Amino acid sequence: MNRRRWLFHLVIRTLAHRRGRTALLLAVLAMASSLATALGVVSFSMEKRVAEEVRKYGANLVIIPETARLDVGSGGLNFGVISEPVYLEQRRVEDALAQSGLKAEKSFHLRGALRFRKGDIMVEGVDFGEIRRLFSWWQIKGAWPTAGEAVVGSDLAARYGLKAGDTMELAGPEQTVKLRVSGTIATGGEEDGLLFLALPELQRVLGLDGRLSTVRLLVTAEGENLRQKAATLQAHFPGAKVSEVRQIARTSEGLLAKVKLLMALVTAVVLISAGSSVTGTMSTTVLERSKEIGLMKALGGTRWEVLLIFSAEAALLGLLGGVAGYLLGSAIAQFITKTVFAASSEVIPWFVCVSVGVSLFLALLGSLGPMISVFKLDPVRSLRGE
Amino acid sequence: MAANIIETSGLTRSYGDICALKPLDLRVAEGEWLSVMGHSGSGKSTLLNIMGGLDRPSGGSLRVGEEDLLALTEDGLARFRRDYVGIIFQQHHLVPYLSAVENVMLAQYFHSVPDEAEARSALERVGLGHRLKNRPGELSGGEQQRVCIARAIINSPKLLLGDEPTGNLDHKSTLMIMELLRELRAEERFTVIMVTHNQEVATWGDRTIYLDDGVLVREERNEQGES
Repeated sequence: MNRRRWLFHLVIRTLAHRRGRTALLLAVLAMASSLATALGVVSFSMEKRVAEEVRKYGANLVIIPETARLDVGSGGLNFGVISEPVYLEQRRVEDALAQSGLKAEKSFHLRGALRFRKGDIMVEGVDFGEIRRLFSWWQIKGAWPTAGEAVVGSDLAARYGLKAGDTMELAGPEQTVKLRVSGTIATGGEEDGLLFLALPELQRVLGLDGRLSTVRLLVTAEGENLRQKAATLQAHFPGAKVSEVRQIARTSEGLLAKVKLLMALVTAVVLISAGSSVTGTMSTTVLERSKEIGLMKALGGTRWEVLLIFSAEAALLGLLGGVAGYLLGSAIAQFITKTVFAASSEVIPWFVCVSVGVSLFLALLGSLGPMISVFKLDPVRSLRGE
Repeated sequence: MAANIIETSGLTRSYGDICALKPLDLRVAEGEWLSVMGHSGSGKSTLLNIMGGLDRPSGGSLRVGEEDLLALTEDGLARFRRDYVGIIFQQHHLVPYLSAVENVMLAQYFHSVPDEAEARSALERVGLGHRLKNRPGELSGGEQQRVCIARAIINSPKLLLGDEPTGNLDHKSTLMIMELLRELRAEERFTVIMVTHNQEVATWGDRTIYLDDGVLVREERNEQGES
């Protein structure tokens, strides 16, 4: 039998002999690593889940025209800056998107003011097909509009007493248009104060054919990656400003960061408790086995060789505890995501390395103090039982 | 005349203010069986531990074979123990969860490579061929001591140390153990240093030294041992 096999045999014999203590250590290590695994998997799943949720909120990139700036002043006097409305060219937007190779859901928007009754109201021209894909939370009370129809924001509808089926006559600088209200929309946002109609119709009424005021894009990317994609698109679009829509993502990321911090703190507390428990149990074991350690040294074992036996025991416990912790932790993660997020967590095979790593770290770190005692133990005194 | 395997000069051991061993000059010849007698606290176990490299003297010089024990580091002493020394304890000190053969293999592990066939053979030599797989708790005191002897001789030591090896045995078992040690010594030609309280056991040696309060007070040759 070679030395390595004998060492393994000896470790197995030792652990089997102290079944109760071995089971206790395994349980502590498995519980600690399972918690680290569970929280890690939940955190990982939550990140994906939040990304999916953010995606539901619609566009994450927006393209607007760069405002034309005019300094107003004379001599040493400066009265400030005025800007005039500028628009994006629809064809150039489409070309820039094609050239950048960006895969994105898009929606084109043109905003303007039309005369209704005796005042001006804000209107927005959109492609309702794109809106339904990109802004899935839009709930229309009535029906989605078809040709010659419009959707009225709830505030605007209330102000003018509009409801589905009413007809509106709107006057623009070029033309007048008659539209039938197909329904109303309430999002709680600025949409509630707008009237939505088909983009080509508004372009015609405003005399702005092929012009857009905003393009909203939903790109499948997060964080740094999204910034890179925005920069890529910006490079193909010098006359426009490409920006990230960060509010929702920022809120979600902030919340996620707080939840992660909480999880990290809970995990740290559990790991410290588990480490103390390992130290306590290993110290008792070393104390109980001091004669055995003395004997090993008396038989010619160097301090390092005896230490190797105890380290191998701790390492084997750590390994087994880590594997058990991974299985248990995956089950706990599944339970948490099911009950809290109403979704199933992923099985992440590489988390077994995290679990085993945590368990090994705990087992070895927790054994450090007792191991120093093993190292220092005097064979004569320990054989005498002192 | 055989060369000396052990030479001490002015060897002392103190524990704080207590002097367990006062300056001691001693020579032990290669292959000799030396019995060490004395009452409790006379310093005999201290002397044995120092000669076996288990403890360090406070002063003087100590040479065992080619090794100057005072010059060795902690791990150097461990290597000295596994290469030079076999120890038989009064309390046996067998690992309770290992079988007889595994207890012998443990000594092999620290020396070189565990070899089950050799360990079995050692146990057969001490008459325990039928108890190889038994654990210490399943063996009598005499049998446990024989496992301890097999473990002590498995690495062919030059020096066999016995710390009251028969102290816990009845008369019959004592005689069996002493007879066994005599046979093994004749075959292996190791040097024996045995600490004992028992005058009858001491006479199995070639020479007996008497310690009192850490001082060598008397020394005598034994006819029975030399026969």
